Amino acid sequence: MMILGIESSCDETAIALLQEQDGVFEVKKNLLTSQVAIHALYGGVVPEVAAREHVDILFPMLKASGISPDGEGIDVIAVTAGPGLVPALRVGVELAKVLAWLWHKPLVAVNHLEGHIYSVWGGEKKPMFPALCLLVSGGHTELILMKDHGQYELIGMTRDDAAGEAFDKVAKLLELPYPGGPEISKAAEKGNPTAVDFPRPMLNSGDFDFSFSGLKTAVRNEVALQQHSVEDIAASFQEAVVDTLVTKTMKAMAYTGAQSLILSGGVSANKTLRSRLESTLQKHIPEVGFFAPDLTLTGDNAVMIALAGAYRFHAGETVDPLTLVANPNQRLA
Amino acid sequence: MKYISNSAEETKQLAEDLAKTLKGGEVLFLEGDLGSGKTTFVQGLVASFGYTEPVRSPTFALMHTYHVNHPTIKRIVHLDLYRLNDPSELRAFGLEEVIHDPQTLVLVEWPEKGFERDKLLPDKRILFCIEPNNDRTILL
Repeated sequence: MMILGIESSCDETAIALLQEQDGVFEVKKNLLTSQVAIHALYGGVVPEVAAREHVDILFPMLKASGISPDGEGIDVIAVTAGPGLVPALRVGVELAKVLAWLWHKPLVAVNHLEGHIYSVWGGEKKPMFPALCLLVSGGHTELILMKDHGQYELIGMTRDDAAGEAFDKVAKLLELPYPGGPEISKAAEKGNPTAVDFPRPMLNSGDFDFSFSGLKTAVRNEVALQQHSVEDIAASFQEAVVDTLVTKTMKAMAYTGAQSLILSGGVSANKTLRSRLESTLQKHIPEVGFFAPDLTLTGDNAVMIALAGAYRFHAGETVDPLTLVANPNQRLA
Repeated sequence: MKYISNSAEETKQLAEDLAKTLKGGEVLFLEGDLGSGKTTFVQGLVASFGYTEPVRSPTFALMHTYHVNHPTIKRIVHLDLYRLNDPSELRAFGLEEVIHDPQTLVLVEWPEKGFERDKLLPDKRILFCIEPNNDRTILL
């Protein structure tokens, strides 16, 4: 079975071709607008935020994917229907609807967050249910319990800034370049993570929510004091975020009794978070499997949408191309 | 008016007081540095309309919409233009549908990143400043 995945919920517009045979997946194409080759096709650099209004960027991408103009070889179309920014979502949703209608192919609507969770389903070993997912990105910090395919329960989330947003904004305060996540990690490698004892917000709040907004002020104050190097502040900040995420996730593991732990989203590319979460899990609950996406699938992409779409398709959850509407506030649970 | 806030709670209280004077159709600009209290102010303001779910930073999503139950205000649009590089990028938001709609309240963080000077005049500008002792000065 060949699945065409389409994602356009925020900054990234993406198209993927994913082949499935008896539960084994093979990525045939994974195209992103942020890729240089796509820029060249489009005839110049596509500004990050403006990309969302360019409906026509999808056609050069479709062409680059090598898909036959009559849809031959495609069995299912999977598209992100929400959550996201309406004008951005609409670009992908409308394309998917038109293609499904013209080609007479089944259409599946995928939730963007669900896509991030399914980004770990491409490998040979699959998570066991119930699975707990820590989803961390520029826009999300959520703990989601997945009881079965398509069944989700939101356990906790950020009450203000997302973890990835905190990385970007702290990078700005430290005068590091954008995007801040990789820059902070790079600086942190040369710093002392215990140099500054930054607050671990809501660590003992009794729930599974997060708050990262206050860390901005804590970092700003530390910068103003001029007592520590940028590297030490970066390392200590990263330590505070990782410590908070790992501690809360382990509490949620104990509370839910989940059989697998999934780390996904853009911040799952952070090496310290990845290794700390995995080693803490192995130390305390060694029988539980740890899953994190391939580094090419941590950010927004369409492979994860095709993966989630494959499972939805097998569950018979197709949608009518004439009535599907993008939903900016779509929820998982 | 100039106010001094020394906690997130005080900032939210100021927002609640301001909320009582709003009728719908207004555009509010919130200006100030990272961590100066803009999102906290919006949290207090939106909560005062009876909205019970968390109001989070829209920096990544760029826009959040909250549906509220109020005699004249039905919708609050929370924009954060921090990530915009150029005012032309604002075209993608479809803002013509929400700005000055009589049942909509529009709150804009980092308006200077998306609106060229004098292109859109807000009904109110709220300025946030971080003092050396960590108090926040809020100009309403």
